Amino acid sequence: MLKTGHRIIFIAILAIVGCSQEQQKETEAVAQEVTLVETIVAVGDSLTAGFGLDENQSYPAVLEGKLRAAGYPYQVINGGVSGETSSGTLSRMEWILTLEPDIVILEIGVNDGLRGVDPQVTEDNIRQMLRLLEESEVEVVFVGMKMVRNLGPGYVSRFNRIYPGLAEEFDVVFFPFFLEGVAMVSELNQSDGVHPNAKGYAIIVENMYSYVVEVIERSPKL
Amino acid sequence: MNLRFLLREIAHSKSQSVVFVLCVALSLISIVAVNSLRRDVNSSIMSDARSLHGGDIIVHSHYEYSPGLKTEIVAVLANGTVQAVQTWEFYSVARREDGRESLLSNIKVVQDGYPFYGQVLLQSGRPFSSVLLPGKVVVAGALLKRLGLAVGDSLRLGEADLEIADVVLSESLRPVDFFNFGPRILVSAADLNRLDLVSKGSRVHYRTLLRLEDENQISTVALRLQERSARSQERVTTFANTESRVKRFFDNLLFFLSLISVFTLLLAGIGMQSSLAALLRRKEKTFAMTRSLGASGFFLTFHYLLLVMVLSCIGWALGIGSGFMVERNFSHLFGGLLPAQIDLGVSALDILEGIGLGVLAVLFFTYLPLSGIKKVKPSAIFRKETDYSLRGGRSWGLFGCGLLLLFWLVIYQLEDVRIGLYFIGGFLVLVAFTALLVSGMLFALSHIKTTSLSLRQAVRSLLQPGNATRSIVVTLASSLAVLLTIFLVEHNLFDTYINSYPKDAPSLFCLDIQKNQQKDFVELVGADTELFPVIRARLTSINGKKISRQDELKKRGDSLAREFNLTYRESLLEDEVFLQGKSLFPEQNIRAGIIPVSILDTVADMGDIKMADVLLFNVQGVLLKAQVSSIRSRTKSMLYPFFYYVFPEKYLRTAPQTFFAAMHVEKEMIPQLENDIVNRFPNVSTINVSETAAELGKIMLKLSTIITFFASFSILAGALILVSSILATRMARVREAVYYKILGAGARFVLQVFLFENCLLALLSGGCAIVLGQFGSWAVCSLLLDIDYNPHWKASVVLLVGTVVLVLTLGVVSSYSIIRRKPASFLREQLS
Repeated sequence: MLKTGHRIIFIAILAIVGCSQEQQKETEAVAQEVTLVETIVAVGDSLTAGFGLDENQSYPAVLEGKLRAAGYPYQVINGGVSGETSSGTLSRMEWILTLEPDIVILEIGVNDGLRGVDPQVTEDNIRQMLRLLEESEVEVVFVGMKMVRNLGPGYVSRFNRIYPGLAEEFDVVFFPFFLEGVAMVSELNQSDGVHPNAKGYAIIVENMYSYVVEVIERSPKL
Repeated sequence: MNLRFLLREIAHSKSQSVVFVLCVALSLISIVAVNSLRRDVNSSIMSDARSLHGGDIIVHSHYEYSPGLKTEIVAVLANGTVQAVQTWEFYSVARREDGRESLLSNIKVVQDGYPFYGQVLLQSGRPFSSVLLPGKVVVAGALLKRLGLAVGDSLRLGEADLEIADVVLSESLRPVDFFNFGPRILVSAADLNRLDLVSKGSRVHYRTLLRLEDENQISTVALRLQERSARSQERVTTFANTESRVKRFFDNLLFFLSLISVFTLLLAGIGMQSSLAALLRRKEKTFAMTRSLGASGFFLTFHYLLLVMVLSCIGWALGIGSGFMVERNFSHLFGGLLPAQIDLGVSALDILEGIGLGVLAVLFFTYLPLSGIKKVKPSAIFRKETDYSLRGGRSWGLFGCGLLLLFWLVIYQLEDVRIGLYFIGGFLVLVAFTALLVSGMLFALSHIKTTSLSLRQAVRSLLQPGNATRSIVVTLASSLAVLLTIFLVEHNLFDTYINSYPKDAPSLFCLDIQKNQQKDFVELVGADTELFPVIRARLTSINGKKISRQDELKKRGDSLAREFNLTYRESLLEDEVFLQGKSLFPEQNIRAGIIPVSILDTVADMGDIKMADVLLFNVQGVLLKAQVSSIRSRTKSMLYPFFYYVFPEKYLRTAPQTFFAAMHVEKEMIPQLENDIVNRFPNVSTINVSETAAELGKIMLKLSTIITFFASFSILAGALILVSSILATRMARVREAVYYKILGAGARFVLQVFLFENCLLALLSGGCAIVLGQFGSWAVCSLLLDIDYNPHWKASVVLLVGTVVLVLTLGVVSSYSIIRRKPASFLREQLS
């Protein structure tokens, strides 16, 4: 990756807001303290946002703790938006790229399924996202999703085929199922039966960790 | 007891007697009607609660039941006195048999016997249980339109092809759902396995409805099930403890009606007091003469108490009878609003309660005038009116007891000690304020310098000692203030809840419209459709203080810790007003480099956020510091789109966003438009709220009729007070007219003085009423009901003009005969 300069959120704010000189100095002082941190942006829906939990219990926060403990100087920004469909995520890719991420963890599509959106639409959207990330030379951990059975066999099989197919097409690191070992286990989910609880997120991070490390390790900068 | 004496007295004071009887009747009509209705509604709602929930006990879960709960349900069913039906509810994609079209639908699979209580109403009118047979489905009308199917066609659901047997019109078990992503399909449990949609990996809402033969066992059985359930995932409720929106709605409505009926009772009570005082004043000379002939004070008081009781009995009979007639006709008035199975009727308790309340009201409000009778001395033949005010510890003690009883009555009627005490406190404060205000105004009046003799005489007449000006103005002003308050509160409630559901309220919402789809979308749905940008973000701190999710969870209602929808625009929405600030983003007061943000009053209250506070947002990983530049409020209802946080466009234009549209589309056109939208923009989700909006509109219109109907009793009571006040001072006017004439004044001069006097009286009363009414209404709306306040100044003007016209008309009409009379005949009458 050829990115240079600070990879911290304040730069993006300054770009958007157009801060005054004084404030620029102020923020730069703060920025010095975290300059050397690499950035992972966790992009996704409520499963990434940590719906119903404190932000520090969501998987991006837990993952950041685990990476730091292992000596990887990464911050993991939570870019999850509850209720978002793949169309919404696609529309904000530009914004996500302003964060200048080294790595993006892309988890999206489940709300498309729960709203019965045509799987072809979901596939096209995710394909465009992966293309944009590829063009921006951002490393990706692509997270697979499986649709609930009650949507019907035709819909479920079309939906579930999206993820492995795209992973192969773009040759990205593929974490096959975000909720592996967590989905439908009542002890690991909140009472709505959909969103993991803190215990569930701990398992998700365990499952995901090796894929993230794989991407970090193959990153040319480290 | 002298019966002839009583009849003669009534016949001689016809107008006062009629006003008194009407006041007694009015005091009871609305109270009896509302109380009786409340009892009927309460008992009916308890039985309707079963229909709303479909069973006596309901077990809910999003997972298969835990082994403990399963075993317990089997054990409960084993004794044979409990029956159960299970339902499975989930979303799935329904298809035409030919596979051409598909639609996300809300599926409910039900076992035989569903529902135990309530009903599923079908288009054909056939019973639900005879239609939903294995191999068949019952669907919502919208599904047929969206998929282009008809009854009798086949529908593919999961692995099964099922025949559409009927169309569901309504389900008593389905509460109003605003945001539903698909139309309903009801399926027989016999087909559950064929569907192959419910198994591990499915997201399903499992429910078991239980019906118990022995009602007394409901709580015990519910407790048993609850103890064996997995608390974090399973919920056991009974029909009685499940919060019912219907019950809450009626509780609020009946409370407001109770409030109006108590107001009416108090106004009618003042009317009673005032009309009886008028009647007794007229009789003052008669009392004096009777006393001089040897009758005791007790004799007179006893006879007039009897007179009051005779008149009251007529009033009670009229009041209770009319109250029941009103209640009987509630089915017309409340048509479509009352629970379907309500049994409107009169019970012995209603009658007893009505009589009890009536006696109490009459005793309290007639005590003061009646207690004055014994104070009339024989010498009153030669004097002016007797002072009726309270003297002596015993009188005050009795009056105090009466007051306490009245307080009890108000609390009993409102069924809430705290609100009852507020009400009483408010009423006492109202009277005290009125008295203070009237004193101030009379003082100001006494210092007015004028060259007009008739105006000077009018002022002097109002201010002369012994004239009842102060008490009349206090009575009139208090009553008018209460009437104005009812009117203003009612209209402000309408503005907030009723006028905000106009016919053109949005009926179709579209979510997730993308930036690059804006132009095409507007082209498809119509150029007048506004698209609202939506940017998801979290509020992380206020003035540097972090938002704590734990603290927010403890609060009732909305939480600051959730994700919010931000938007950008440069002007107010049509239904917004500024509470603070004159524009959305005024440049002054905003710190350099910080983005201005306009917030809605709702969120300002939630977080105690003030102007110039600094808010830190996390917009999907990017921190955004903003300073509050204005606070807005809304004038419409929840059906219109609204945004807590509005930013200037330049700062969020590039932020990740989707667009949201709220449109009004005729109900019949919606399915076709939904198809067009989804075909052209498959990522866009549509939500059809036409049914809900239409239903809400109808309910609100009904509510407005009911409240106006009950408020009209208060208005009638107010008019009676006005009439009785004029009658009360008639004698004084006659005397004044005579004196003026003896002193050489012409009829024109006397008329002028009366006109000025009446006009001043009306202006004083009306003026005080407006000051107090506006203040009281603002307090009720802003502090108690928490709704926006509109002063409706036109109503105040109408009240003032109306009072002046009415007082002048009544005053002049009642004085006209006096003015034309020769003084000598009056003096002869007085001395004979």
